[in-house]
Amino acid sequence: MKKFLACCEASKKILNIAHMSANLPVNILIIGQKGVGKTLLAQQISPETPILDAKQLENSIINSTANIKQYDELVITNLEAVLNKKEFFQNLIGIKIIATSKYMPSEIATQFAIKIDVPPLSERKEDLDELISLYLKQAKEIYDIDISIKDIDIDLSSNGVSLKKSIYKNTMLKSLNDEDMQESLEYFLLQKLKNNKDYKELLKIFEVPLLKAAKVQYKSQLQMATNLKINRITLRKKLDQYFGTN
Amino acid sequence: MENIYEQLIEYDLNPYFLFHSNGKIKSYNKEAEFLLNFVGVKELFDLAVSNATQDFGFSQKYISLKYNKQSYYAIVVGYINEEEIALRLYKVVSNKMNTINNNKLKMVNIFSLIDLSKTSTLLNSNLKIDELYDVSIPELKININDFLLCLNDCFNLFVDDKKITLQVHIKIGEYEIINNTKYKIVAIEFKTNRDIKIDNSLDEKAANANINIFTNKNKLRLELPIIL
Repeated sequence: MKKFLACCEASKKILNIAHMSANLPVNILIIGQKGVGKTLLAQQISPETPILDAKQLENSIINSTANIKQYDELVITNLEAVLNKKEFFQNLIGIKIIATSKYMPSEIATQFAIKIDVPPLSERKEDLDELISLYLKQAKEIYDIDISIKDIDIDLSSNGVSLKKSIYKNTMLKSLNDEDMQESLEYFLLQKLKNNKDYKELLKIFEVPLLKAAKVQYKSQLQMATNLKINRITLRKKLDQYFGTN
Repeated sequence: MENIYEQLIEYDLNPYFLFHSNGKIKSYNKEAEFLLNFVGVKELFDLAVSNATQDFGFSQKYISLKYNKQSYYAIVVGYINEEEIALRLYKVVSNKMNTINNNKLKMVNIFSLIDLSKTSTLLNSNLKIDELYDVSIPELKININDFLLCLNDCFNLFVDDKKITLQVHIKIGEYEIINNTKYKIVAIEFKTNRDIKIDNSLDEKAANANINIFTNKNKLRLELPIIL
């Protein structure tokens, strides 16, 4: 089982709260942005407890397809998605709830004696470093490439989720050879052709990255035109067409 | 001998005060004498003056007041000359028995709950707490959920403070009677360097948790029975 990472001081405190509250007969709410580790923390509090999505559970309750009474304890994720939260909780009386939410649902705040606010990864430097190191190691093993963190554009917009995606994506892109690229493009173009895209529309897929790369490599339009061996007027037209500027 | 009106006032269930214009008390009844254990003369005099009519006469005002455990819902202020002013407070009375639902109680270490509430509520706060705990307090039966909800709100009052003192001790010589049984009392007292104001929601949460809650300027005190 994956564990909630606790290298920084705030995370250690959070883990301590989780351990302290694990055996208490109270509901626990874990609040935080996407990808901060809310569900992992909930699992850490109660590893054997079933995990249900709040919206799906609400629908099951409305449609009377859920046998709620069979549970003593539940982990409920994405609590913010529930439409009628008060009524939702009326149906869960007597069950210990460990819920996760992106924000504090004020109308049911009193349902939770313990509230754990998990900060974003950007505020947990030691955790972030540890995760980067972990994901980078995994990605290097999978793609069999030696790559440094400096070569990767880290994306923390969705914390751990986007971080992992950005590391894997960057590592994969840098591992591609001509054959991989052609194979990848062939698959991609096949999907586009199924959607009746024509030659002109598909040309954009080649030209945009080519022009961007050339701009980085050659800096000026004159250099770009010279090295790409195309007419400067044609180059200007294409830059204007794709980027709205020359 | 005092006349019947004076006797009525003396034995009234509601406190009555008559102040001199300089703020000193000229007379008061038995209930007022009891109230003076918890509130200063100046505060009561200021209450009377600030609610008096512009000209001679009497005014009634429905206001919510709380001194120690007793709440008041209205006052009458009156004066018929420049020398003296009268104040009468009306008690909120309840015939509710002091009871507790034993089914929801669980034996627990109170310091663990205080630590849990403190850590989770003050996760992003820089508040420093001087803790003075009487560690001889035994494990006691508490409604954990309601206790934590109340305590969380208490800690929340201090999230922006720099430093508070938190004292937990057994009250000497004081007891609470619940379901006709006498219990010792544990007090959890917060002290800061500013006046503390609490809202009705904290009062409600305290009542749900069988906690008596008191504020006195810079102090907030919770009292709960030691049920073993």
